[in-house]
Amino acid sequence: MKRLLPLLCMALLCVSSLPAFGMDTAERLNVLEKTLKEQARIIEEQQRTIGAMKEEINSSKTWAAAPAEEPVKTEEDSSLSSKVSGFFGGSVLTNPNISLVVDTFGYSSNLKKEELEERGIEQRKGFNLRAAELFLFAPVDSYFNLYAAIPITEEEVELEEAYAVTTSLPFGFQIKGGKFKSNFSRLDAQHPHAWDFADIALPYKAFLGEEALGGEKGVQVTWLPPLPFYTLLGAEILQGENDRLFGADARSGPHAYTLFAKTSFDTGDNSSLLFGPYVLFGKAHQPSEEGLDFRGNSNLWGVEAVWKWKQGKQGVTLQGEYLYLSQSGSEITDPGTGDTISRRLRQDGAYIQALYRYDRWRIGARYDTLDLFSDSLKLGGEEQALGKRPWRTTASLEFNPSEFSRIRLQYTHDRSSRDSRANNEWWLQFIFGIGAHGAHEF
Amino acid sequence: MRNILIALLLSLVAATPTFAGLNVVATLPWIGSLAKEIGKEKISVTTLIKPNQDPHYAEAKPSMILAGRKADILMYNGADMEIGYLPLVLQSARNPKIIPGKPGNCDCSGFVRIIDKQTAVDRSMGDVHPLGNPHYHFSTVNILRVAEGMADAMANLDRANADAYHANFRSFGARFNEHQKKWKTINLKEKKYIAYHKLFGYLEREYGFRIVDYIEPKPGIPPSAAHIEHLIEDMKRSKPDGILVTPAHGLKEAESLAARTGVKVIILPQDVGSMKGTDDWFAFMDTVIAAMR
Repeated sequence: MKRLLPLLCMALLCVSSLPAFGMDTAERLNVLEKTLKEQARIIEEQQRTIGAMKEEINSSKTWAAAPAEEPVKTEEDSSLSSKVSGFFGGSVLTNPNISLVVDTFGYSSNLKKEELEERGIEQRKGFNLRAAELFLFAPVDSYFNLYAAIPITEEEVELEEAYAVTTSLPFGFQIKGGKFKSNFSRLDAQHPHAWDFADIALPYKAFLGEEALGGEKGVQVTWLPPLPFYTLLGAEILQGENDRLFGADARSGPHAYTLFAKTSFDTGDNSSLLFGPYVLFGKAHQPSEEGLDFRGNSNLWGVEAVWKWKQGKQGVTLQGEYLYLSQSGSEITDPGTGDTISRRLRQDGAYIQALYRYDRWRIGARYDTLDLFSDSLKLGGEEQALGKRPWRTTASLEFNPSEFSRIRLQYTHDRSSRDSRANNEWWLQFIFGIGAHGAHEF
Repeated sequence: MRNILIALLLSLVAATPTFAGLNVVATLPWIGSLAKEIGKEKISVTTLIKPNQDPHYAEAKPSMILAGRKADILMYNGADMEIGYLPLVLQSARNPKIIPGKPGNCDCSGFVRIIDKQTAVDRSMGDVHPLGNPHYHFSTVNILRVAEGMADAMANLDRANADAYHANFRSFGARFNEHQKKWKTINLKEKKYIAYHKLFGYLEREYGFRIVDYIEPKPGIPPSAAHIEHLIEDMKRSKPDGILVTPAHGLKEAESLAARTGVKVIILPQDVGSMKGTDDWFAFMDTVIAAMR
């Protein structure tokens, strides 16, 4: 409208000045003056109309804001941004859902740098960056959802998880395929940022690795039967590339398998219990630099239990797991001749932990140990001395400014290094997440 | 051994009580209550969130997943109200009937006019609902639309009982009109309130009162001492008619504010069943409106 106005004036000027041709200058000036006055009047009039229109628009706005019994489906409601895209919530425009979680911490210990390295402790004293974890997920179509987890460390980018999950199978079945963190146990599928402590429990560390089994390629089938209580039954076939339990070259095909069951009851309106047994087994091949390879079978049995209570600003979580590892096979004693000796390991481990949350604060305690009931290593049938029982105690204090940020102070008294001295370590961890992050499992 | 296990499992499956009618799973108490009004004896209702729980902080529990597994229809508030647990329940329930896009997935926010939609929002603004104010169960006009939408959704899935659902909706509508007459006589136009959380936006619009300030500096962010002091100064000047809170949301903060300013605390139920005498949605709304006077 504003732009039109000068154009309109120009046009009017041209038209009205046309008959002025051929008149003398005074007359022409007179005509021009008149025309200008006319212009001013028109502009004023138009301005008034605009003002009136503005008022009208404003008044209709206030009317629209008042509750009205008009039909719901307005243009605005059917616009793209107002539709919910379903599975993961949020608007369609955030499809695929992307999030980034930065996990960084400060570390201090009474041990020297060399002692830490000897124990295989990867973090350095001082500032550390564990990873920036990139997550992508979205429905593929009406049959599959796709998920990817890509932790980015300073050294490398890893495709830790990339898998599709069915959404429309009947009878309570679901199939997951690709590369994923196995769901066989409580902690295995959790990403480090979701752990309740800065590091994983001792049995996991000892039997599986710093970040449990890690992403494995394979297929998972789970079934949720329509029972009166929650029971999830699952089985997995995995490639078996974890180098502590299996090894990429243990066999040419997939050679690791899991079976698990999880049952849950509500123990009240505000509390639930979940527990279940599991087993992870397969072929093992652990190469060594000196050629003293181990070949055999690994079987990891376990049972998990967790109880959660939550009311208002308070919450309690009690959790524990027991793991039993049995590994048998033969170890090469002389790479030259290929002589072997039988090797048989029976070792167990457990952890229990308790967390109490009040509003934005959370405190936690954990005790984890190995060799609880079983600590036998036999080489050629002869019992080997393993040394003192490894154990740790941990205490933590967290402040969570919002559900997207976490500041954690953790102290661990670590006696897991059998006969050498204790490691008293402090962690100050900061975890930040941006983007559309999926809800965490129970 | 294996045979025994299979037999045991099968007998358990067989022993599961089967209900012939529609199996409705509702997320929030008011949704469950409304569904029951429309479905009556033709449906069974499981509600995931209990009336005394704060739906903002709910987490997915295995029992919710099991309920989702058995559902014929899932009815939820939408507008991201259930973002903390429902996506996980949907992914884990392994029930193709209730996934988005299917008639068994009933997003109640689709039936209503959502207010306060945000066009530009980031998390520095606190726990803002980008899809708009999701607390539309405080809105009389919207609830009628939801009830109608529910009746249509149930009738669509269970055609044999379609007439019953529509008849139940009509009788709900008749009761609604009775209550509406009473509610319309109440004039709150000149009133000013302080509220803890942005729960009452719909009431504000329908009754024309004003919420002049919030105890939360940003949605979902607890107030600092400085913010409280600031609020007290403001309240002394603006002299509001009350502090609106729910039993789960900010009662403690409101009481200390009341003690220092003399402004009364008005406790409103946050949902159906969360306070005495709010057993259905009409009783809930009666309680809300009576308390605000």
